[in-house]
Amino acid sequence: MTVVETSDLTKDYALNGITVNALRGVSLSFQAGEFAAVAGPSGSGKSTFLHLVGCLDVPTAGSIAVGGIDVAALSRKELALLRRRSIGFIFQAYNLIPVLTSLENVSLPLVLLGHGKAEAREMAERALAEVGLGDMTGRRPKEMSGGQQQRVAIARALVKKPALILADEPTANLDSKTGREVLEIMLGLNRSEGTTFIFSTHDRMVMDFARRLVELRDGRIESETLR
Amino acid sequence: MNAAAFRDVAGMALRNLGRHRVKTVITTAAVAISAALYIFMDGWILGMNLESRRNIAAYEMGAAKIQTKAYFDKKDELPMYENFPGWETLARDLAKAGFDSAPRFTFTGTLYSRAGTAPLVFNAVDPESERRLLRYVPYVESGRFPRDGALELAVGSLAAEKLRVGIPDRPTRSEYEAEILGAAATEEDRAFVRSLYGPPRTSKEPRKPFSVPDKAAPAFEEEKLALKEGVSGEERERLWRILAASGRMDVRISTVIDVKAAPDSIRKNKFEQELLPSLDAGAQALVRSAYEPDPATGDYYLASADDALTSRVLETMVAADYPGAIRHINQLIDAVVVGVVNSPNPKTNGSVGYIPLSALQDEAGLMLGGAVTEILIRKAGADDAEIPGSAESPAAIRAALDRVLAADGRTFPDNLDVRGWKDYSADYLAASAGDEVSTRVMILFLFVLSFIGISNTMLMAILERTKETGMLRALGMTDGQVLLAYTLEAGLIGAIGSAIGILLGCLINIPMVAYGIDYSAAAREMGGDFGYRIVALFRSAWNPPVIAATGVVATVLSAVAAIPPTLRALRMPVTESLRFE
Ligand SMILES: Nc1ncnc2c1ncn2[C@@H]1O[C@H](COP(=O)(O)OP(=O)(O)OP(=O)(O)O)[C@@H](O)[C@H]1O
Ligand SMILES: [Mg+2]
Repeated sequence: MTVVETSDLTKDYALNGITVNALRGVSLSFQAGEFAAVAGPSGSGKSTFLHLVGCLDVPTAGSIAVGGIDVAALSRKELALLRRRSIGFIFQAYNLIPVLTSLENVSLPLVLLGHGKAEAREMAERALAEVGLGDMTGRRPKEMSGGQQQRVAIARALVKKPALILADEPTANLDSKTGREVLEIMLGLNRSEGTTFIFSTHDRMVMDFARRLVELRDGRIESETLR
Repeated sequence: MNAAAFRDVAGMALRNLGRHRVKTVITTAAVAISAALYIFMDGWILGMNLESRRNIAAYEMGAAKIQTKAYFDKKDELPMYENFPGWETLARDLAKAGFDSAPRFTFTGTLYSRAGTAPLVFNAVDPESERRLLRYVPYVESGRFPRDGALELAVGSLAAEKLRVGIPDRPTRSEYEAEILGAAATEEDRAFVRSLYGPPRTSKEPRKPFSVPDKAAPAFEEEKLALKEGVSGEERERLWRILAASGRMDVRISTVIDVKAAPDSIRKNKFEQELLPSLDAGAQALVRSAYEPDPATGDYYLASADDALTSRVLETMVAADYPGAIRHINQLIDAVVVGVVNSPNPKTNGSVGYIPLSALQDEAGLMLGGAVTEILIRKAGADDAEIPGSAESPAAIRAALDRVLAADGRTFPDNLDVRGWKDYSADYLAASAGDEVSTRVMILFLFVLSFIGISNTMLMAILERTKETGMLRALGMTDGQVLLAYTLEAGLIGAIGSAIGILLGCLINIPMVAYGIDYSAAAREMGGDFGYRIVALFRSAWNPPVIAATGVVATVLSAVAAIPPTLRALRMPVTESLRFE
């Protein structure tokens, strides 16, 4: 089953009067259960691509289908609901809500989905245990290390068992040992739950984890490798 | 959104307040102060108004008046010629309809005393009815109220001071020597007078709480003496007798009696150039039918012997405000001041005199022949603490009166009218309305200030959280939910602030309602009369609906303050929010 399909995806940014072509026609499709990396040098368009796929911005041209639905046809609210139900995000900068504890951060997506308080709590605790943070449920983000925060972010993305998790350089802020641990967790999840992962990176070690590698350069696909 | 999600959003809002603690505290304080001030000022104004309204009814005029329609139209001129006869009958009818009434004949004049003169408004009253209807009567601070049938006068305390009648509280040394001590004929009386007056109280004496300080006394003021405190009623009475015996209380009223009368003759040019042009064609014909020109001089003479025609002609002239139709008769009336009125309503204590109606009926008085200018009305047994309500409205009084009259086959005189207290209290209503407007403006200003404060706090808070907002949206929070979260947060600031403000306002109001502020000194500076019918002590009143509304408005305003910055944040694409540092 195709989870994501982009065709001729183009994104231009207007910056001080000049147009920056961040993506220049990217056509890709990702099947359910893929563990794919988007790689490329800085400025090649990796983040832009993931953001468009995650419906966080709209393309200048081209189309995106998520789960077979053309997202261009959706309203703001429908896009929010699509993200809520089907897409998990992991960012380089973790982006946890600072006033909430790790447990609350992780249960937030469940609460938004309408799960009961007790149920959400239980599911969040389990997700935190899965990323090895079973004993840090009460901590606020600023009371944790970067690696721990990123693991909370992963727990937050996976707790609702979305069809697709988009991770933009999830390990860039971590040392290689912690980065490896984070990737192990992601891969384990991909295996056990069949969650589709698309993550960006410019780290060789991280690319080695991927079973499919898409390399971008200047907003275009430079190469695609399957392993 | 489901209840659990709402609870979580609310919890997040509450915790967000803690993130900008200093700003939250400052903003909350601004809201609290605005709310407290509003509650305080509103209570103050309501207190003044309730007291004023009560005092107008209780001390000044009851709930309504019967006057001639013509009088009401010109009431500011006090047109004594627009009077009406037969008040006794109307009073009986009113009593049957369940109302107390008091007749009055109001006129203006000058009062001469041995030491001074003052223009006064005189109320000729029926002491018995007056005592039943109005509460100022017992507030004769010294002396007594005039007796029926006697040419006796009670004057307002302000007039008494000006005319140097009555018992002076703070005479100057020379006034004391000449007029007070000098009034005592015997050594015994002199000793008695000396025992009543002493040096004035010094300002070192502890002041009453909340009292407004006197203005600094002028440097070269003549030394003053003061009537000692705790002078008994009997001692006052004796002092009054001593002073009265010296002629201090003898006065003369100089007034002009205005009566309507068709002039016997009218000069040609007045008739043709003044009177006729002010009339319409029908009225001109009417007047011409009663007056005939003298063939020799051209002046006009009243030729008609028909009384009905003459009185119709007279009414026509008065209606056209022809001055020749009012005859002025100068009158001097000797009287004696027997009392000084000082009630809680400043209107009763100013340049006013009270004199028995019965003493003015004949040639020695005002030749009233039973006429009055007004009848004051209040529901029989009305509670003084009550502001006249719908049961005492002019319409209600008129309806009740009509029922009584109809039972006898009579009708209410066509030339008379029942008017409510509000129709006569323009000065109070204007003062009250003016204050209300200026207070509203001030409050609005305060609210705008705290609104700007909240807006600024929320603007900063939301700007600072741009990235977080992006994340919430990435997690699938809809625009509506983000808006709710942030308005809730701002609303919480407003709710906490107004809760503190309400508490604060009520705490201030408790002593203000229970004890009030004594500002007798300030009131004296202003001559004691500033529109409101209250004296020296001002008390607030509780106004629960306004207190509640203040909380609601402050909360809602605060919540609204979060909307513009939130909408601004939502206009950004999520990616841009996430990139924001
Ligand atoms: N909001 C924006 N406004 C203007 N230009 C932008 C914006 N976002 C991205 N770009 C530009 O688009 C191009 C692609 O950026 P993108 O962030 O997708 O690169 P990237 O591959 O993620 O790089 P990095 O590895 O540094 O994260 C860059 O040239 C960047 O400068
Ligand atoms: Mg990037």
